[in-house]
Amino acid sequence: MSHAPHSPLPVGHYAYDEVDRTFLKQRVAQFRDQVERRISGALTEEEFKPLRLMNGLYLQLHAYMLRVAIPYGILNSGQMRTLAQIAQRYDRDYGHFTTRQNIQFNWIRLEDTPDILALLADADMHAIQTSGNCIRNVTADQFAGAAADEVLDPRVHAEILRQWSTLHPEFTFLPRKFKIAISGSPQDRVAARFHDIGLMARNGENGRPVFEVYVGGGLGRTPIVGVKLRDDLPEEDLIAYLEAILRVYNEFGRRDNIYKARIKILVQALGVDEFRDRVNSEFVAMDRARYRLDEGIVAAIRARFGVPDFDPAGQAAEKLAQQRKADRAFDFWVRTNTHAHKQPGYVSVTISCKPAGGIPGDVTSSQMNLLADLADQLSFGELRITHLQNVVLGHVRQDKLYGLWQTLEQNGLGTANVGFITDIVACPGLDYCALANARSIPIAQKLSERFASPDLQREIGPLRLNISGCINACGHHHAGHIGILGVDKRGEEAFQITLGGAADQDTVSIGQIIGAAMSEDETVDAIARIIDTYLARRTAGEQFIETCRRLGTAPFKDAAYATA
Amino acid sequence: MDRRNNRRDAEGSSVITANRLLDGRIVWLAADGEWSPFIRHAHVYSNADIEDALKQQTASAQDNELVGVYGVQVTVTSSGPVPITSRERIRAGGPSVHPDFTPEWQEHPAVSPA
Repeated sequence: MSHAPHSPLPVGHYAYDEVDRTFLKQRVAQFRDQVERRISGALTEEEFKPLRLMNGLYLQLHAYMLRVAIPYGILNSGQMRTLAQIAQRYDRDYGHFTTRQNIQFNWIRLEDTPDILALLADADMHAIQTSGNCIRNVTADQFAGAAADEVLDPRVHAEILRQWSTLHPEFTFLPRKFKIAISGSPQDRVAARFHDIGLMARNGENGRPVFEVYVGGGLGRTPIVGVKLRDDLPEEDLIAYLEAILRVYNEFGRRDNIYKARIKILVQALGVDEFRDRVNSEFVAMDRARYRLDEGIVAAIRARFGVPDFDPAGQAAEKLAQQRKADRAFDFWVRTNTHAHKQPGYVSVTISCKPAGGIPGDVTSSQMNLLADLADQLSFGELRITHLQNVVLGHVRQDKLYGLWQTLEQNGLGTANVGFITDIVACPGLDYCALANARSIPIAQKLSERFASPDLQREIGPLRLNISGCINACGHHHAGHIGILGVDKRGEEAFQITLGGAADQDTVSIGQIIGAAMSEDETVDAIARIIDTYLARRTAGEQFIETCRRLGTAPFKDAAYATA
Repeated sequence: MDRRNNRRDAEGSSVITANRLLDGRIVWLAADGEWSPFIRHAHVYSNADIEDALKQQTASAQDNELVGVYGVQVTVTSSGPVPITSRERIRAGGPSVHPDFTPEWQEHPAVSPA
């Protein structure tokens, strides 16, 4: 069987070979058989549930939901068109980008699922390990391989971790799910310290990468900031060391209480020094040669990644400057929705999936097809899904931005709000999720409309607003500068506000609840008063989170609970 | 099925619900023993009497191609039973953010292979 990838190689992600494709076909056939046995009654629901979850299929509030993996958030235009096809043919014409850089379809039929997985397999995609107590999709910086501030492209190592963790026999039944994020920039754009393992890559002294390793971070019921385990883990030991961490967790993590089963609880219970000692003991006892990540292996994986063939910068920057000068709205969009690129003449573009009053992260099949076309025309066929539920075109020439923006504007994707208060992160909430206590989407829509004015958003400045429909915190509310948590009050939904959360590397913090839960409309009004308080009390140039840290939560709490 | 959704007061009324195995869609047990996508068709039990019916329906779930049979406490109104919790009202009526996605929403016609 050939290990040679088909050419040309996809830009930004790993090219499957016949071994990968054969495996996926076998997996689809296996699941098709499992579905047939479930429908015939040969398998009970109790027997079938873990099997469907291992293939990303949940039974949610209204229907089955299929979560499709997008490894390190990167997919090519053909894969995006496949997702559009699934949305159009098998769902209700849309998909929802998640905070793990994946996509969910909310109206899937069990009997269609094997055919959907076969379609995905034809596009080198799958839904494996998007659920269950295993290592989930490894997330990465949405500007990986492009950002001007990046020291090391983390995607090759994300791919190595994907291959290591996929169907790993020891780690298929962990005490609880396990999430890894990796970044190669000193600017943490992956919330590394809110992951079970967070990796920050940089170049080491010998020219090979080294990794800062954080462990035991997480949100959910018990939000905890991860602690540093290693400062300079050599590349060759990356797999061995992570294997050692997972072994310690697998052996000592609690299985008697689902709410205390994540690695963060173990790290807290043992203390970081004891946890580190146990990992090191495991590490030194391992057959290190078996797990050594040789340069040759890394090079072989890297060779399966396509790289962009950039054009010379030419007059791209000058043309862009003229266009920005001539069109104020375009200039504003460039300021908010682009990110500096390492290649002269190029930028990365964040396409907001948060139009005023829209549903955060929802994209229709026609928008998916448009995004695929734009990726082909402008970004080497590559797309990225962000953990903030937007889409990135990684490599766009500066003189192509104006046309891109005009096309996005015409198709409901041109909102200039990235990093602002209406760039809201929200889980599906009680409108879809079987676990939720409250709806996340309607309150997100009301807040999005309330603060829709571009001038007002600019006046407020950078602000992260995150909404979760329950304590499981899929909307990462603890990490939001303003967080909203949906709770159940005797069968009716209500909302708590948290303030002061942040996921940035050096100033990471957990948002604190400011008071009792309120109704949806009361919460929207309370947040408006919190913003008014910020605008009144900030010092020159001070961002919301900075004012929040300087003043503490008291004045904001007073404002939130003030009656008109 | 989340156990918290199967809780009932000692007094009051409830209906029986489940998801269809093949497509996951929500259905409600009607008085004639059929399963309807519409809660307005649901038979209303007193909470004192529902446990036996739930046991019976759970036992026959596979034969009826159903999963997750449980009871939902309701208030009986002139337009039919209305769940007492916001969760179950959303479940009965469809997601509040897509007005078209009510239980009346029709699936696409059967698709042919590409």
